[in-house]
Amino acid sequence: MNPDVHQRACQLMDALHVEGILPVDRQWLEAHLAECSTCQGRARANERALQALRSNTISIAPELVGITQARVRLRARELRENQVRMRALWISCALSWVLGVASAPLVWHAFQWVGLHAALPNMIWETAFALWWLLPAGAVAVLAAWQQRRAANRDGYTTLPH
Amino acid sequence: MENILCLYVNSMELETREIARGLRRRDPDLLDELIGRYQFRLPRYLWTLTGNRAVAEDLFQETWIRVLEKSHLYNPQWRFETWLFSIARNLAIDLLRQRQPESLDALLNPGSEGAPREWPDCESATPFEAAAAGEQAENIKHVLRRLPAEAREVLVLRFQEDLDLSEIAEVVKAPLSTVKSRLYRGMEALRDFLEEEAV
Repeated sequence: MNPDVHQRACQLMDALHVEGILPVDRQWLEAHLAECSTCQGRARANERALQALRSNTISIAPELVGITQARVRLRARELRENQVRMRALWISCALSWVLGVASAPLVWHAFQWVGLHAALPNMIWETAFALWWLLPAGAVAVLAAWQQRRAANRDGYTTLPH
Repeated sequence: MENILCLYVNSMELETREIARGLRRRDPDLLDELIGRYQFRLPRYLWTLTGNRAVAEDLFQETWIRVLEKSHLYNPQWRFETWLFSIARNLAIDLLRQRQPESLDALLNPGSEGAPREWPDCESATPFEAAAAGEQAENIKHVLRRLPAEAREVLVLRFQEDLDLSEIAEVVKAPLSTVKSRLYRGMEALRDFLEEEAV
């Protein structure tokens, strides 16, 4: 028999398991296997290899599942609590921003009044007003950075897969 | 036949959507169920990657913690196990990279330095398990140890975990053609090694 025929049969046998083959190729392969004992042997070797692979089992610690479930539940609770805390933080930030915007004209006048009575240059009291305005945002940034660092220290990593 | 296939596909889609919804809610009951469902497949895959039972068990726990934390990122377009194995693989590689800052193949290959590879064997099983395991099971464990890491991984994903080629490509982050060639090479090596073992 032509060696190319055996080669084709071998390729089809591997392809059958890896990505599947067309019905016409399958028919050809079955016909070839029916009359070629060498390729039959290879087909049997393939089957044995895959059967052996599928039969591979491992034994795990019986308590592993329970421990994992408990850890996951605990972490889920932590995440929920964190979520509640973060929600509260965001609400307070939003409220603070709204109040800040609403009170900005009043605060501006107050700084202006202090500046006039203390005979300060405009630059000074205007800078003081800007700093006053940035204070809540700065405090939140510091808090967020602290929380992130704490989370990274606890988990031992900072980058996560998608 | 087509109707059955269609029903199967629909039920799969429904299930992945259910899982995605549950994960977004961080539903502890769903996670309990998933942990139970993958209690054999996931450690087996991790064991294949790391070759170390204790490490595989640690990574099993870490994988589920990561699943919980990243639950909102699960895309129901993929089967859940594709995402799960992908997370497990990333964690295994991160861990191995911390231990051995070398190439990925060197990290996953047997025979490299570092953590000893403890492939499952009769010594760690009970007498009953050891007797039941049989000669073929021992052979395959020995043979898997000899396979190149990349081939071993795709063989396990394809023939033990029943992932299709596109899912394997997603898990190992490699093009489909690479996955196919690794599978062909792996099958050839597997067949050759098993024949050697049999002689």
